[in-house]
Amino acid sequence: MMESRRFKAMGTEIELFVDAAGADEALDAAEREFHRLEATLTRFRPESELSRLNEERSLEVGPDLLEVVRLALEARGRTDGRFDPTVHDAVVGAGYDRTFEELPEESTAVVVGWVCGGSVRIDGSRIELGPDVRLDLGGIGKGYAAERAAELISAAGPALVNAGGDIAVHGGSWPVGVETAEGELTLELTGGGLATSGRDRRRWRRNGKELHHLIDPATGAPSPSDLLRLTVVASDAVEAEVWAKALYIAGEGEAVREADMRGMPCVLVTADGRTRLAGGLS
Amino acid sequence: MTNQVGRLYSVALGLFVFFLTWVAIGARPWVASGSQSDPRLAALEKREQRVRRQSVVVQRLVNRRWATYRAQLRQRQSQIAAASQAQAAAAQAPPVRVVSLPPVTSTRTS
Repeated sequence: MMESRRFKAMGTEIELFVDAAGADEALDAAEREFHRLEATLTRFRPESELSRLNEERSLEVGPDLLEVVRLALEARGRTDGRFDPTVHDAVVGAGYDRTFEELPEESTAVVVGWVCGGSVRIDGSRIELGPDVRLDLGGIGKGYAAERAAELISAAGPALVNAGGDIAVHGGSWPVGVETAEGELTLELTGGGLATSGRDRRRWRRNGKELHHLIDPATGAPSPSDLLRLTVVASDAVEAEVWAKALYIAGEGEAVREADMRGMPCVLVTADGRTRLAGGLS
Repeated sequence: MTNQVGRLYSVALGLFVFFLTWVAIGARPWVASGSQSDPRLAALEKREQRVRRQSVVVQRLVNRRWATYRAQLRQRQSQIAAASQAQAAAAQAPPVRVVSLPPVTSTRTS
């Protein structure tokens, strides 16, 4: 008997699944957790802890923001800077300065590139941002929330949480659809996480130029990757989110090479309409 | 004959006096007595001995610190190796395969 729930949070559709009956309490707890984490990690509410950190530059923070920033900084090191939480000003400079629902599809606003990779220091429970550094934890925050929610639901039974494409699996066996150039491919997940990054959804136009939210920290501008979309399976949803972004920015050749080297299953859809499987997936 | 013996004694005495003088001059007694009496040289010697003692102390300190550093380095290296192994294990993707079942849910660009 499978129970499920759908709701909106973190600017996307959230789906909770549990392979158990009478799991309302666990599903309620998971839903509350999403809203709680959204209130902490969003950059779109001035009262969120993240917004206060970005504003005040140095702040004693709660355990969730501290953990997500720690994970993001670790990921920055592991991905040689291709994943970087300091892209906030670059994303805003590219035009993504409000929730995606409120974002005008077309405008003549000036697009500004920003340098990324500034210093972020963690000292106990205090986070200190370097000059002109602000954090955007949108993607990794969703992965983190998916993991926390899946953990709560798994008390009732095997669980899957889908936070707008960032999927966390805690127990059970779950067929998950992945969109390819030729149609939908189904992957069976028995644990870990899965995430997709691409420029086929969160995109907009400024002065006739198409832009998207995947910033290459090396240039501070939307990545000119030769990929349209990339899906990664990893040890958890946070790891999958990190590598989906990093490999997307790396581009097709490097992404395939690195996925194979790391044994990280990947589905790549190229900008010219081809589908490639990598990282041991066949 | 007497004159010859006398000459021989004179030559022998001359040689004896010559070697005695040589030995006396070769010993250079004025140098030793002079250096002992120069206070600047004495101070220099004292200073040399003090510096030698200090260098021995510093060398011991350096050796002790080097040993501590090596021990800490070994400990840190083993911690890094353990963390790397843990990270590699954690980063290990779970088994996944392509199936022909209908999906429960789908991923899309987040």
